Amino acid sequence: MAQATLPVPSGSQHDDHGHGHGHPETTTGTTNTKLAMWVFLSSECLFFGAFIATYLLYRGRSLKGPTPKDVYNIPFTSVTSFILLMSSLTMVLALAAIQRGDHRRFRVWLIATALFGLTFISGQIYEFTEFYREGLSLSTNTFGSSFFVLTGIHGMHVTVGIIWLLSLWGLSMQGKIEVQHSEKVEIAGLYWHFVDVVWIVIFTVVYLIPA
Amino acid sequence: MNGDDQALLPGTVAEREDELEHGLSVISPDEVPLLPGEERAHPSPFQYVIIFVILCVITALEIGLYYLEDDLPWSLIVGLLLVMALIKFVMVASWFMHLRTDKPIFRRFFIMGGVAAITLFTIVLTTFRVFD
Repeated sequence: MAQATLPVPSGSQHDDHGHGHGHPETTTGTTNTKLAMWVFLSSECLFFGAFIATYLLYRGRSLKGPTPKDVYNIPFTSVTSFILLMSSLTMVLALAAIQRGDHRRFRVWLIATALFGLTFISGQIYEFTEFYREGLSLSTNTFGSSFFVLTGIHGMHVTVGIIWLLSLWGLSMQGKIEVQHSEKVEIAGLYWHFVDVVWIVIFTVVYLIPA
Repeated sequence: MNGDDQALLPGTVAEREDELEHGLSVISPDEVPLLPGEERAHPSPFQYVIIFVILCVITALEIGLYYLEDDLPWSLIVGLLLVMALIKFVMVASWFMHLRTDKPIFRRFFIMGGVAAITLFTIVLTTFRVFD
């Protein structure tokens, strides 16, 4: 069955060539906004790759402790990882809801995603505090420096995502997110899922793989 | 919501009312209008839940493997953990980020960034003898 394509919101560039695509005529056949987000995410692979590589380079070269084995609390980090994974599910359910015009469920799933994100960040703050109490700070050793910078930058990305989600939720409460604005939600979702996939790598490489 | 917006909604009025009352499974994904850049319909909410359950199972296996550190060779543990992380990465990118249903151009950009990062930092880490 041929499916319709959602038109872009008013104020955007419409396809007025009679092609019936419902989105701007571009050489790529998609909107520039979505393509720009994917290009940004592609560059973020290199950005996070640099910090992960730095961590791998420095984690076993500290001249004094604490070492990863001394401070990591795997059961606790596993719980926060599950929470971030769950937030990815609620994010796609929010997108599915707005595409179906179900505003009530959209808002519920969106606020749930933001709350899961907040729980993850709270867990990270707790973890950082515990590490500091055990004597690991940004300047203690090379492991501390590379660990706090890597996970801190990831946490900053999650925080930006939470602000973005809460902004969408606020707009939805004002009736400014309609079914034809689904692409805005999808783009926020792409960012959120990327933060999740980066955590999948960090959780394995930083926490689970023995030094 | 005006008449134009109503016309964009998937399913019939009765189906939408039924879905609002009972859950998310009444309207087929094929009836939902495609977003710009999509080639096929997104998965259904039920499929999303199945993917999430699989991701949770793999994560649980990863955590279980961590505790077998003293029983299995280091290289086997690292290999298995990396394979499981890769599977999770691909599943989230394919299903939740919709790379399997969107136009290939998005996939190409993302793979380009990923491959560039892996190649570059493998060279850097090898140069610094991290894998020795």
